[in-house]
Amino acid sequence: MTRSFWKNNQAALIVAAVLIAFVWVGWSTMGQTTFVQTALSGLTLGSLYFMVASGLTLIFGLMHVLNFAHGTMFMIGAYAGWQFYTNPTFIFGLLPLAFALLAGLPAGTLLQPLVRKLQLPERWQKPLRWALILGAIAVGLAGVIGLDFRGLAATAMVAVTVGVDPLAEATAQEPLARFWLRPLLLALASLLLAVANQHPGSRQQMLRRHRRWPLSLALTGALASAVVASVFREAGALAVLRLDANWRFLLALVAGTAAGGALGAVVEATLVRPLYERHLYQVMVTLGLAFVLMELVQVLWDPLPYQMSRPPIFSQPGKAASLLAWFSEGSVTVNILGVTFPSYRLFIIVLGVLMFVLLAVLMKYSRLGIIIRAGVQDSEMVESLGINVRRVFTMVFVLGAGLAALGGIGAAPFIPVEPKMGDTFQVQAFITVVIGGFGSFTGAAIGALLLGLARAFGDFLALRFSLSPAISEASTVIIMAIVLLVRPSGLFGRRD
Amino acid sequence: MSTILEIERIQTYIGQYHILEGVSLKVPARGITVLLGRNGAGKTTTLRSILGLTPPREGRVLFEGKEIQGRRAFEVAALGIGYVPEHRAIFRNLSVAENLRIAERRPGDLERRAELIFGLFPDLKRLYKLPGDHLSGGQQQMLAVARALVADNKLLLIDEPSEGLAPILIEQLMEAIRQLAATTTVLLVEQNFIMASRLSDTYYIIDDGRVAHQGAMKDLLADQELIHRYLGTAVRGTGRSRTKGGQRS
Repeated sequence: MTRSFWKNNQAALIVAAVLIAFVWVGWSTMGQTTFVQTALSGLTLGSLYFMVASGLTLIFGLMHVLNFAHGTMFMIGAYAGWQFYTNPTFIFGLLPLAFALLAGLPAGTLLQPLVRKLQLPERWQKPLRWALILGAIAVGLAGVIGLDFRGLAATAMVAVTVGVDPLAEATAQEPLARFWLRPLLLALASLLLAVANQHPGSRQQMLRRHRRWPLSLALTGALASAVVASVFREAGALAVLRLDANWRFLLALVAGTAAGGALGAVVEATLVRPLYERHLYQVMVTLGLAFVLMELVQVLWDPLPYQMSRPPIFSQPGKAASLLAWFSEGSVTVNILGVTFPSYRLFIIVLGVLMFVLLAVLMKYSRLGIIIRAGVQDSEMVESLGINVRRVFTMVFVLGAGLAALGGIGAAPFIPVEPKMGDTFQVQAFITVVIGGFGSFTGAAIGALLLGLARAFGDFLALRFSLSPAISEASTVIIMAIVLLVRPSGLFGRRD
Repeated sequence: MSTILEIERIQTYIGQYHILEGVSLKVPARGITVLLGRNGAGKTTTLRSILGLTPPREGRVLFEGKEIQGRRAFEVAALGIGYVPEHRAIFRNLSVAENLRIAERRPGDLERRAELIFGLFPDLKRLYKLPGDHLSGGQQQMLAVARALVADNKLLLIDEPSEGLAPILIEQLMEAIRQLAATTTVLLVEQNFIMASRLSDTYYIIDDGRVAHQGAMKDLLADQELIHRYLGTAVRGTGRSRTKGGQRS
């Protein structure tokens, strides 16, 4: 029994032993202050690595998709959150269009019985489909033509660079009398796409029957949201800006996560889903998407780094004597075990731990978690049990993208917000996933912890012995090499 | 006797290989129908074509009179078809309880069927909390069959349940499948001819992607020449001795 316990938990025990030895050596040679300081920095980094890596590992484990756009989700989350926090004019200006696009999809599916009546000879089916797709693109473009994207994007840019009162900049939106046509056209465009997707005219079209009432409900909801969002484009942005900055930051976390999740849903449905089983194409498509999104962001906000300001609760001058004191003072630094440490970084650590616990509970106890764990091993068998695995794939992709975006907005207040900000995190997340074992959620957490600490202590060593700072970057790869030598499938990877 | 499943001339390809070249068969409701044939004849592919895991390019599959070819596997399964794949494909990183729980199609399925499942496989009750990869090969096979019983399935597709099991376990499994057949329909793929002949009423022999012979099992048993021609290598006294069980995916 003891033997099998040792065998089953080998990886966890080795990691624990290494960490304990490391703490002991570090504590005794570096002194308490430096050690705690460096360890906390490492935990902050580890937290962020975990948020990127956990989605990456689940997506790969379940769907065998290497998502090279995962760092881009991180970046998009940071931009969305930064926009929302600094000046949400851009987000509120585009929200009605997003809802309108969403409304077209259930509407198209509701038209399915009508579409099915249409029977065409085979040589007309493909041209019809392409005509619909091209029509959708044309209508969609007509819907956004003349919309001042850069002007909307500039509002937050101005607020940051010039430091003007964001309230003065928040109201510049197109008048509703001209705007209302745009959501209408976009809804029509996505409706055309949805119809094109049903292969109209073909007898062999998808036989899936949809229940009508959930579709009608989705349609009504999306339409109503589009109308409300159109009307309150200016008032909504103003209301958010008048909100207490701490609450606004909390909402920005939610908005960034939602933006990442929504992007994940779109990417999964349009780019990844048609390419399951074609792994090389997926790598190329996600890599290409990463470049496209990066360029898009540069077009909107110029290739400049921005600094998102911290919410007041993390930025009052002074130093709180303890965590409890910080709650009332909201000071920029906190005293932890005799060490002065930025309070915002503590927040990141807490956020990372919270996410880990939430995800762990989800994976262990919920039905979705059981399905995900089963699907990582054998998704075909899960499907044979009558479970719509594709839908679970979409959910996991959205979950992963949302988590990465949350990491991005979490990181935005202490690293520069710029188009390439996700790149290093993506590389580190891939290393994390390799160390932890592809598909293992616990592995991602442990790997992120190890990498975060390695980076922080690597930096410390480089500084102390005036070595090249490259040593801390190399340290993560060295850890990966050692782990792979000992366990080729990662710490918690399966050995088959 | 009514027919629960009917296959009409299905053609299935895996990649560029033409595996099934027009297989047709009828599975009567209640009782056990067995697919016999050599390795690579297309028995497993037939089961997978029914479920839609390897969809047939041509031909029809009718379940309770409705066409189901071309539907996705989860939709076919949800109609009431349970699948026990070969190599006892249980989820090894899930506990026994989770392996059963995941097969629920409606909340409470497992509670409703617990009596039946633990009546057939009392061992599983003892192993309930253990992870799947701690189970022996035989226990894994029991779990794989039990998993197909959690939902209310009208048809069970069972692929080579006796493979790699010790004789005593084969006996226990046979008994369980026989009991199941009293209330549901079983389409069985089996290499172990002795086991197959003692269980089933109807047989189909599949050879090179076609149905070579069919009929009642008792007629086949009388025809030694036929058995020898198609199943020569497959006739065996008991099951193969247990190999290192449970490690294959």
